[in-house]
Amino acid sequence: MTDLREFEDDFAHALARLVHRTRFVELLAELEEGEEVRIDRRSLTPSLDPRIQGAVIRAWGGERWVEAATSALNRASLDQAAASVERSVSKSATGAAPPGESATTRGEWADRPARPMRSLGSDAMISLARDAFSWAIAVPGVKDCQVEVGWSENQRFYLNSAGARCFQLISRVGANVAPIAIENGRVEYDYLSRGYIGGQERLGFLSQERVADVAKGTVELLHARAPPTGEMSVLLDQGTTGTLAHESFGHGTEADQFLRDRSYLRPILGQTVGPESLTIIDQGSHPDGWGTFYFDDEGHLGQRTVLIDRGKFIGALHDRETAAALHVSATGNARRSDFLSRLFVRMTNTYVEPGDWTFDELVREAKNGVVLEHCTSGIEDPLGGQMQIKVKKGRKIENGQLTDLVSSMALSGKVLEVLRQIKGLSRPGDFEMSPGYCGKGHTDLLPVGSGGTFLLSTAVVGPA
Amino acid sequence: MTAPKVAADTAFRAADYLRVPEPWEVFGERSQRYEIHLNGRSIELVRGPILLEGFGVRVFRRRDAGLASGFQASTDLSAEGVKAAATDAEALSEHSSFPAKKIELPGSGPSGENGLEVCDPRLWERPMETLNEYVDAALGPFDTIRGAQPSFGSVRATLTETTLTNSAGLKASYARTLVWFELAVKAQGGPEGAPPGEYWVNETMSRVEPSRVEAQVPDWCRYAEDVRRAVPPPTGELPVVLPTSILSTIVPSVLGTRFTGRARLREVAPGIGEAWGNESVTVHDDGRVPWGVGSSPVDDEGTPQRRRTLLDHGKVKELLYDVRHAGVFGTESTGSGIRGREFVYLDWRRFLHPPQVTSTTLVVEPGTGGSDAELVEAAGEGLWVQQLGWAIPDPLSGAFGGEIRIGYRIRGGKLAEPVRGGTVGGVVLSPPGTPSLLGNIAAIGSAPALAEGILSPTLLVRPLTVAGK
Repeated sequence: MTDLREFEDDFAHALARLVHRTRFVELLAELEEGEEVRIDRRSLTPSLDPRIQGAVIRAWGGERWVEAATSALNRASLDQAAASVERSVSKSATGAAPPGESATTRGEWADRPARPMRSLGSDAMISLARDAFSWAIAVPGVKDCQVEVGWSENQRFYLNSAGARCFQLISRVGANVAPIAIENGRVEYDYLSRGYIGGQERLGFLSQERVADVAKGTVELLHARAPPTGEMSVLLDQGTTGTLAHESFGHGTEADQFLRDRSYLRPILGQTVGPESLTIIDQGSHPDGWGTFYFDDEGHLGQRTVLIDRGKFIGALHDRETAAALHVSATGNARRSDFLSRLFVRMTNTYVEPGDWTFDELVREAKNGVVLEHCTSGIEDPLGGQMQIKVKKGRKIENGQLTDLVSSMALSGKVLEVLRQIKGLSRPGDFEMSPGYCGKGHTDLLPVGSGGTFLLSTAVVGPA
Repeated sequence: MTAPKVAADTAFRAADYLRVPEPWEVFGERSQRYEIHLNGRSIELVRGPILLEGFGVRVFRRRDAGLASGFQASTDLSAEGVKAAATDAEALSEHSSFPAKKIELPGSGPSGENGLEVCDPRLWERPMETLNEYVDAALGPFDTIRGAQPSFGSVRATLTETTLTNSAGLKASYARTLVWFELAVKAQGGPEGAPPGEYWVNETMSRVEPSRVEAQVPDWCRYAEDVRRAVPPPTGELPVVLPTSILSTIVPSVLGTRFTGRARLREVAPGIGEAWGNESVTVHDDGRVPWGVGSSPVDDEGTPQRRRTLLDHGKVKELLYDVRHAGVFGTESTGSGIRGREFVYLDWRRFLHPPQVTSTTLVVEPGTGGSDAELVEAAGEGLWVQQLGWAIPDPLSGAFGGEIRIGYRIRGGKLAEPVRGGTVGGVVLSPPGTPSLLGNIAAIGSAPALAEGILSPTLLVRPLTVAGK
């Protein structure tokens, strides 16, 4: 396995070219290795992460940031990238300081799973995938099933001219099972998806019972009714609650949107936006999140940031620049998708703290409405304060009882109205963190976690 | 227009080091990327050149269950690097299985010198200067527009030299450009006390057209202003008019999944000759549409691009195949082996991905519905959808739906008040005799427009489900 630290001399050489031309320069190198097995009824496809590695150099150009990247980690290519940056740095770059506080973090962190996925081997991964496939296909009515089992080890090595030097190795493991049922030309699927920081020990969730349950649910979807439409009580499952947190107070609190005057939330910082039962957190240091890391791509340590504390909006997510502009400290939320992509203020693991209701109590409280299950996507509207969340299925609530299964739906509504109308959240025992990928707009996808327990509110629901 | 000469030899160089049995293929790219990011009307960040050169090697091996394949990508073009990638691909093929009976790799292909318009020559010659001009054109109209300003945006261009070679003797190369543009327009004008409104433009294209972007800005500002006074839509089954920009987010991912050999292998493809659309609808997939982001002289396996008819007057006529799925069904590749299109994302780094079978640019034949105004008139009482939040459908079930970011009520055959919020949705494609977007088309406009993966006129669909207050 290649270790990015082996290239440290070349990195330092490239930075040395720039330190006298600018007040600040940083280098982030990245390397990811991993493996995946994908299986369905007709094919088996193992794959490896591409053999790609690289580095991006960012410097303060006096008035703006400039950067260049290369996928060749050798002295000549790194020097060429540094030369590109040098040409873009203005003559005044040595005079003006960059915005914000430069990280001075020094340290090395590496996940050491008890049983690393790397040592599992392809045959064992294939065997695991085949087991899950066979459990699903054994359910009457399931015609096919796509199973994916995979892992990755992501290395990031960060150096800057303020003295920061940090290295991290993040180990992720996950699996997806998507049974497919077909009847009279109608095609439906449902899914089981989990992803964690760690190794083989985290794959225990892939049990016969869970896979069979999702397979049975898929067959039932063939006869699901159309979802109800209009404004109604909505009871969100854990993953959907996590997505609500992500879309409602995640994107809107990415403080680059504050500086662009593009967040409807900025003017209401400090105000009460939800009931006492509502607390929303973003936590890059979460021990169990898909978006967990030790330090961000500006070298600041991952941390726990309270966005809403018992109904009151108190915090936002920052990189060095937004933190300086708003006179706070960076929160460790500066992230790049990879070394080829630019840095943005991004979420990490965003979740709603549990409440004290039971699921049955929430159903009774809803009286009439719908349960939204198995979130598939979400999108925010940071300026307009609206959001959309799509789910794979749900169940109608009639007179405080669960009734018909309904097919895929979209929830939409004004964030502040949905939050104000939260009636309750279920207990800590229901808490789940789901893996996902988040874009900044429609690009720059990176891993994030979203979590919560069952949440009851009111919103508009329609087909999707 | 003369295409730039391709100087890169990425795939050919990698192939020189390749020491593996036939059949094999190598796909190479040498890319430069340039980006300008805006904060308001100021440049926040300039990036580039971002240099990336790499290749993907795929080998095919006979196994018990058929012809398996293994794929690996790498940026290491040394002899050792190519050997390592090939060793990975061989090892992966050992474990893989696929029911193809044979693999026929294309033996020759056209080069980029064939007049196909996929490379913006000005952008190719002067990338950063051209992007700066484009940004100036996009921002210029705001000098005279009151009440609306950009809040952020970016333009990102990739200049790529593509090379392909294989064990059947193919040697193909071409140059192309790909541009991604976004601009958020924020309106403060309009009704007092209403929060600001925003219209968020996202476009992927093969060239930059400063005059076009300059002409569009006033419309974007008007949409942003209308957001401020928009009301929720009604709930019900309504005639809905969908412009090309909306169709581009809904239709390609479903047809590009279901009308393929891969879907046929999984028994979810429509049957040839079955009626899956209204009889007025004819849809082609065309990999040679000028300036289509999916266009290229050859597909990503080297098969020459051509037009394929998917729906002919509503009936299924043809499915799409890459070389692997063609090998399963004893047919020929339709030139539909595409890399880097995962779900709805178009990855500019195609060499990192093995080919998947999917559509390039869907072409909906124009109808007799006339102009957009005539389609609105035909709708009578309904809804015009200008922008959805996230309409992306479920490619298997075909279900789609999204929050209405901005739309307009249609009253008495005219556009009326703006609407916002709620959802509009349905099913893109469904079995014969069941309602769907393609089955419920009531009128097809006469003027096609190109938007990312589709070249289509505006469509009137009667009805779709709208959920509002």
